[in-house]
Amino acid sequence: MSQVQQPSLSREIHRPRTNWNTYLKRYWTLYLLLALPIAFFVIFRYIPMAYILMAFKKNNIIQPPWFVAWAKNNGFEWFIKAFKDQLFLRSLENTIKLNLLDLICGFPAPILMALVLNELAFKKFKRFTQTVLYLPHFLSWIIISSLALRLLADNDGLVNILYKNATGNKDAVIPFLSSPNWWVGSYIGLGIWKEAGWGTIIYLAALTGISPELYEAAAVDGAGRFRRIWHVTLPGLRPTIIVLLIMRLGYILGSEFDRPLALSNKLVTDASTVISIYVYQKGINGGGQFSLTTAVGLFQSVVGVLFLFGANFLAKRFGERGIM
Amino acid sequence: MKRILALVLALALIATLGITSAFAADEGFVDGKFTETRHITVRLFQRGDNVPETSPFADYIRKGMLEKYNVEVEFSVCGRWDDETDLGNLLAAQNAPDVIYTYAYPTILNYADMGGIIDLAPYIEEYKDLLPNMFNLLGEENVYWDKDPETGKLWALETRLVNNARINTFIRKDWLDKLNMPLPTNKAEFEACLIAFRDNAETLLGADAAKMVPYSTSQDIGWRNNNLTVSFVPDAITDEELYIRGFDDRQQFLPGAKEAMRLLNKWYNEGLVWKDFALYGSGDTTEDDNLKAGFVGAFQHNYDYPYRNGDDSIEANLKRNVGPEAEFVAVDCFENDAGLYRKYLGSTVDRKVCFPTTNDEVLASLLYLDFISSPETILALQTGTEGINHERMEDGAYKMLVVDPTDPNYQASLNNIDFTMTCNGQYLGEYTEASFAYGYAPVDPEVVLNALKVAKNDGRVPKHFSLPAIEAEVGIGSTLSEERDKFLNQAVTAPVEEFDAVYDAGVANYMAIGGEAIMNERAEKIEAATGYKFEK
Repeated sequence: MSQVQQPSLSREIHRPRTNWNTYLKRYWTLYLLLALPIAFFVIFRYIPMAYILMAFKKNNIIQPPWFVAWAKNNGFEWFIKAFKDQLFLRSLENTIKLNLLDLICGFPAPILMALVLNELAFKKFKRFTQTVLYLPHFLSWIIISSLALRLLADNDGLVNILYKNATGNKDAVIPFLSSPNWWVGSYIGLGIWKEAGWGTIIYLAALTGISPELYEAAAVDGAGRFRRIWHVTLPGLRPTIIVLLIMRLGYILGSEFDRPLALSNKLVTDASTVISIYVYQKGINGGGQFSLTTAVGLFQSVVGVLFLFGANFLAKRFGERGIM
Repeated sequence: MKRILALVLALALIATLGITSAFAADEGFVDGKFTETRHITVRLFQRGDNVPETSPFADYIRKGMLEKYNVEVEFSVCGRWDDETDLGNLLAAQNAPDVIYTYAYPTILNYADMGGIIDLAPYIEEYKDLLPNMFNLLGEENVYWDKDPETGKLWALETRLVNNARINTFIRKDWLDKLNMPLPTNKAEFEACLIAFRDNAETLLGADAAKMVPYSTSQDIGWRNNNLTVSFVPDAITDEELYIRGFDDRQQFLPGAKEAMRLLNKWYNEGLVWKDFALYGSGDTTEDDNLKAGFVGAFQHNYDYPYRNGDDSIEANLKRNVGPEAEFVAVDCFENDAGLYRKYLGSTVDRKVCFPTTNDEVLASLLYLDFISSPETILALQTGTEGINHERMEDGAYKMLVVDPTDPNYQASLNNIDFTMTCNGQYLGEYTEASFAYGYAPVDPEVVLNALKVAKNDGRVPKHFSLPAIEAEVGIGSTLSEERDKFLNQAVTAPVEEFDAVYDAGVANYMAIGGEAIMNERAEKIEAATGYKFEK
C-alpha cells in the first residue's frame, strides 16, 4: 500500500524540474563532496571498461584496442577458446565449488557468532572476545598461509607433530594441505577463522536496532532464551541477512586471488586453481594472452551481474526489500 | 559526426605510422659522440632491500656513458622475480624502458607480434662498426641467434653466458666421514649414502634426529633433480631430438625421464626425501634453513648454490651452526648408459635484450650495450672498488671481499649480473680462472673450484638450430611449467603402485594443453631445415 502512495507524494512535494536549480544552490556543498567519489568511479571504474573491447579483438596490449583487428569467429575467438580449454573449465569448476562451500559454511558463521556474542552478559568479556575475533581479519593471506604451513604441514607442522605423538604412530599424518580434499577443508576453515569475526560487526550493529521492548514482551509471554533468539533476534536480522546474501551471490563466480594463491601448493593445484589464478597465469604472469583473459574476466562479471539481479528478484518476490 | 570520424581516422593513421616508421640513421652522431645530450632508460633488476640505482656501479655507468657518448642513462628498477609481469605492464602503458631484457624469448615474440618490439636487423647492419665491444663479447653467433631465417627479423640479442655450468649434486662429506663411507661414484652408492643417513639419524643429528632429511628437493622437481634425470637419458640421443623434446629446460620430456622420477618416487616412499618439499612455494626459505641448520644430507641445485651469498651462504651458515668440519661437496655419481656423468650445459646464451617500439634512441641504446660489453666496464662492475669489494692476490687474481648488504657497494647478484646486462659470469680477462674461486669468500676456494669442475665434467652443449619462430610456444610457457611441476610433484609423492598412473596422466595432460603442439611444430621446422625425421 505504502508503495503506491509514496511516488505520488514525492511528486507533489519535490517537483524536480522547477526546483532543481534552487535545490543545487542550497545544497551545492553536498554535491561538491560527491564530486570526488564520482570522479573516482568514472576514471578508475568506467573509463577502463572501454578496454573490455580487448576481449573481442586480436591479442594486443601495445596498441589501443580500437585500432586492433577483430578476433576470429566474429570476435568470439577467445570465449570459444576458453570454453575449450581444460584448464579454464577446471578453474571454473573449482571457483564455483569453493565459493558455494564458502557460502554454505562461511555465510552462517558470523550470524551464529553474532548471536552468541549478543547473549554474553558480561560486558568486558564480550568486548574482549569481539576484539580477539576481529584480529585475524587484519592479517594478510600471505601471513596466514605461512602460519598454516607451520601448523598444518604434513611432517614439520605442529598439529601433525602433536597428532603423531598422541597416536604414537610415526606415519600417522593428516594431509591438511597436501591432499586436495583436505585442502579444500583447510581453505574453507581458514576463511571462516579469518573473516567470521569481522563479519559479525554488521550483524551486531543490526542487533542494536532491535527494540528491547520486543524482548521484554517476549519474556513476559514466557519465551526462553532460544525462543527469544528465534522469534525476535533472527527476524530482526533478516533484512541484513538478505542484503548480504544477495551481495554474496553476486560474487559466486568472482574469485579471491591472494587466498588461493598463497594457500595453494603444487600437490593441490587441481583443486585450488580458480579463475583469478587462471587469469593471472595466462595473462600477466608471462602468459601474455591478454585478450583471452579479458574475455574470461568479462564472462565472470556478466555471470556475477546475472546472479545479483536474480537474487534480488527472488528476494523481492519473497517480500523483502532487496538492494535495488 | 563525420568530422569526428575523420579526426579519429587521421589520428589512427598517425599512430600506425609512428609504430611502423621505417629505419632512419641518426644524424646527430658525429665523430663517435652525440652533439646533443641524449637520454635513455635502462631496465635494472632489484633483489631484496638493495637500492641498485644509487650504487657506485650505477654511477660508474652513468658517468661513463655521459663522458663517452654524451648519453644520459636513467635506470628503471623492477624486482627480479616480477620482471615479466612488470614488462607487460610497462609495454602496455607505452612506458617501457628503452633497453629491456628477459629470460623468456617467447614473451618477446608475443610482444613483437603485437608491434611492440623493434626489429634490430637494419640497425645492427648500419651501426655494426660502432659496436666492436658488443660483437666481441657476444660474437656473431649470439647477435644473430634469434634472427628469423625466413623473415630476416631480429627481435632480440642474446647476451653472453660466460659460465655455462648448471647443476651439481652436493653431499655432506663430514657425515660420510663420520659413517666411514667414501664419496659416492654411482647411483647405487648414492642411494646407499641416503639410506645410511636415514638409518644413522641419531648418530648424525643427536637430539634433532627427527629432523633428518637424507635428500632434499623442492617443488621445482625438474631443476632440482636434473643430474638424476639426465642420467637416465640415452647418451646416443641426437641434437635434433634434444631440440624437439627440449622446450622444457628441465629436460623432463626426454626419453628416460620417467624412470628418473620413478627412482625419486621410490626414495620418497622409503623416507629418503624431504617429506614436505611440495608444500613450499618458490622463494620460500624453509629448505635453505634446513640446509643451513645441517639437517640435510644431499641435494641437487645450481652448481655453486651452497657457496653463494658470502657470509650468509649455506656453507658459511653450516660451519657456524654445526662446526668447521661440516661441508657440502659436489660429487659426480649419476652415470648414464654410456658410463658418463652427463650434464646438459647451457649454451652460450643468457638473457635476451630487446628495444620496445617506444625507443626513439636506438643508436644510443646500442651504444649502451657496447659500453656495457667492453672488458673494461665489465671488470669495473664485477670487481668494484679495491679494498671494499676486492683485493688483488699475488698472482693478480681478484679476491672478492665480504660486503655488508646495507653498504651501497654490496653486489646483490653474483658477479653483479644485474649491472653487466650483456654478460653473465665472471669475465676478467686473463685473471678469470684464478679469480673464480675467490668470488665466494669466505668459502674455501678449493671447494668452489671442485664444484665448477664437477659441474662441467662430461658436459654436453645442445646444438642451436636457426629456425623460424615456433608459433606454438608463444604465450604457453608459464602454463606448461605449472602443469609440469604439478604432475611431477603429484607423481613423486604418490604411493609406488600409483606412480605410473599419476605420471602418465600428467604427461598426457601436458601434451594435450600445448606440449605436443610445440613438439610437432619443432619437428616440422627441423625437418624442413635439415631433413631430420623425428619418430616419437
